[in-house]
Amino acid sequence: MKIRTIAFLLILFGTLAVFSLTYAQNAPEASERGKEVYENSCAHCHGIEGRGDGSAAENLLPKPRDFTRGLYKIRSTEAGQLPTDQDLFDIITVGMPGSSMPEWETALSTEERWQVVAYIKTFYEGFKENENPPKQITLEGKISYAEQSVEIGKELYVELGCVECHGNVGRGDGTSAPTLTDSWGFQTWPANLTQGWNYRGGADTEDIFKRFIGGIAGSPMPAFEGDSFLNFGLTAEESKRLIELENRDEMTEAEEEESGKFYEKMDTAVDIALSIKEGAEMSAAEMQTYNDAMKVVYEKSWHLANYVKSLMPEKRPEPAIGNNVLRSQYVQGTLPAIDDAVWETFEAGYFPLVGQVVIEPRQFNPTIDGVHVKSFYSDTEVAFLFVWDDRTHTTGDEIDEATGKPLEDALAVQFPVKVPQGPTAPKPYFLGGGRLPVYLWHWKASTPEQVTELTAKGINNAEAQEAQGELQVQSTYIDGQYKLWVKRALKTEDKKDLQLEPGVFVPIAFSAWDGSNGDVDTKRTMTSWYTFTLEPVPSSRRFVYPPIIAILSVGLLFGLRAFVQRRNTEDV
Amino acid sequence: MKKLSLFTICLIILIGSWVFLEFVVGGIISVPIPNSVIAMYMGLIVIAILVHISVEDSQFREFLRPIHETLVDDRRRTHRRVLVVLIPLFLLGYTYAIIAQRANPPGSPRDAHPSPPLELTYKDEVIGTMQDVVNPFRHYEKDDPEAFKAHVENGKRVYHQNCFYCHGDHLDGQGHFAPYLQPLPANFQDPGIIPNFQESFFFWRIAKGGPGLPAAGTPWDSAMPIWEDHLTKDEIWDVILFLSEYTGYQFRTFGEAH
Repeated sequence: MKIRTIAFLLILFGTLAVFSLTYAQNAPEASERGKEVYENSCAHCHGIEGRGDGSAAENLLPKPRDFTRGLYKIRSTEAGQLPTDQDLFDIITVGMPGSSMPEWETALSTEERWQVVAYIKTFYEGFKENENPPKQITLEGKISYAEQSVEIGKELYVELGCVECHGNVGRGDGTSAPTLTDSWGFQTWPANLTQGWNYRGGADTEDIFKRFIGGIAGSPMPAFEGDSFLNFGLTAEESKRLIELENRDEMTEAEEEESGKFYEKMDTAVDIALSIKEGAEMSAAEMQTYNDAMKVVYEKSWHLANYVKSLMPEKRPEPAIGNNVLRSQYVQGTLPAIDDAVWETFEAGYFPLVGQVVIEPRQFNPTIDGVHVKSFYSDTEVAFLFVWDDRTHTTGDEIDEATGKPLEDALAVQFPVKVPQGPTAPKPYFLGGGRLPVYLWHWKASTPEQVTELTAKGINNAEAQEAQGELQVQSTYIDGQYKLWVKRALKTEDKKDLQLEPGVFVPIAFSAWDGSNGDVDTKRTMTSWYTFTLEPVPSSRRFVYPPIIAILSVGLLFGLRAFVQRRNTEDV
Repeated sequence: MKKLSLFTICLIILIGSWVFLEFVVGGIISVPIPNSVIAMYMGLIVIAILVHISVEDSQFREFLRPIHETLVDDRRRTHRRVLVVLIPLFLLGYTYAIIAQRANPPGSPRDAHPSPPLELTYKDEVIGTMQDVVNPFRHYEKDDPEAFKAHVENGKRVYHQNCFYCHGDHLDGQGHFAPYLQPLPANFQDPGIIPNFQESFFFWRIAKGGPGLPAAGTPWDSAMPIWEDHLTKDEIWDVILFLSEYTGYQFRTFGEAH
């Protein structure tokens, strides 16, 4: 092909691409075609009129976005600003983890997604009035992830009051966590910062940083801006010094004067910030003061983002399925107690929980993500450690109106009474009742040192066993996390109990209740059947046979050589 | 360049074929081949090589020459020493790995689409035989498009109030609960699902859920609820209309219903 032809084609395609993009984003026709896509794919949650009241909305929490108020959680723009078109496009494309908003990349074409963006904007007048593009958050001056920055962030986490909602170590268990509502009055939970896979807008430090600077509109998460940021107008050192002074019981005269100066400086900066918000003209000197103050906010935000990043594992743990089943480790002698450091030495089996949506009453919006399980066994006993995050410690003080039962946190572990032999042998149904009974351990937060043994034939048909007291139990609730330790003999006298022996693969399933989320009875979170085994002590044959084989092979090699040599001499 | 010995060529062919099957076909082209099939192919290649080298006496001697030399020739002393260490070491590690291997749970021989019963029922009411029952609202598609649309709309509502948690917004079996269920929820966008079944089969699966599966379908593993406990007969038929309307796939039919 001639260069001229190539150039011509390039220009042609370029023009077409630019034309179609602008066309998709701006032309009124785009929003008309977007209407069709919207009504087909989005309206069942977000509502025909974009009020977030589609037919599916009733059972969802977080609620589908109401587009009529222009409040968007995930934005790359500064506090109080509307999102960019790209922001809307991105969220449609990748979805919102931890909510019921899926990715639409596979179901809608790029063009269709842009059309939907155009249509969604028609629900809110503010998009039309706003001719200036929204102001984007700058990522310049990013402080990269480093231990030192994480340490600074950790102090800021306490100083700025993140603890109030997100809790001491970030599990979303702060004291005000159960009281929060969004701008529509619906209950909303602060993020469990240790579960990065549930961050609605992604869990990169940049994403976290943008949530700080821009805020999460419509939610109780504030933006880090001039008029509300702690000690706005002070440098990091000054801010520290002021906090130190404020914490003293008494201040000397010099110290009074020192802190007075800090307050003056802060007042000036906050006044400027408020005026800027109202759109007033500022002098160059005033802008300088404001920019210096914002620079401190940005720096602190990067440190804090790095700290939050440090709280989460790199990705969601893999569920304990396939060959990755829960294996109980053998130890000689006494089994470790709940606080033994040995529990920390290996990875837990992870069992993600889903809402129970099969039997009324149902739980469509679970708040417990999953349960982590470890186990040891000895010649006579087995011990389990169950660990799960729950934002609140609910012990049954409140009564559920529908059932008249106390709302409290709980965990149930389910085994078959008899281990099914072979893969085709029926296991008991984990829901809805079945022919085969299950053996249950039921722990409740109101009786933390006790686990009830039950026999059940179906989810609503459980009976406590007559013989109790075979289980030893310890439990703790610290910083939004339950730990439950249960010990039992491998073999018991009770015929209704599961009997355990090494090397057998035993079906296991879990249920968890979060009382503050209204969980009671069948309204709960659950897992399907998984597998657990007492991992047999590795055979000592592994130290015997391999050396024998190796020695034999050496012998064989020498023998072969001798044989060949002898034949050679004979040949000669 | 020195000409490669017959032995080396055979070795290269053998290792090359294995790498090709395991990594090129299985990895890059990503058509995973079961280990037993790879073993079969490798067996055939070994036989082919053996046939090739044993056709003539001279050829066979040529093949054995490097082995022979390595065993006795003084010029190959270094090779010999390396091999006499490496071979036993390999066998030591290999046998250890086999013996120390952990036992894994037995797999599930689950039949994803087990045979339905002869009769289709809703709760205890017999609707008809599985073969003959048709969707009572399907005929609106031709007779009364407005009524048909209303039924599909209702099916859509039912779907998003009950099914999409597991089967997903896209009907692809990837709802937000789905990744943590075993077996995975059905994917209606799979071209092998809707076109292979009658609407009556779907009615049966929805109405009776996991517990209604025969033993071959391992009913104890399925998280599919018994929907006849929650939905009316008409709602189930409507949701079935929605499934085919949204995905664009036609359910299997056997000509006109009598």
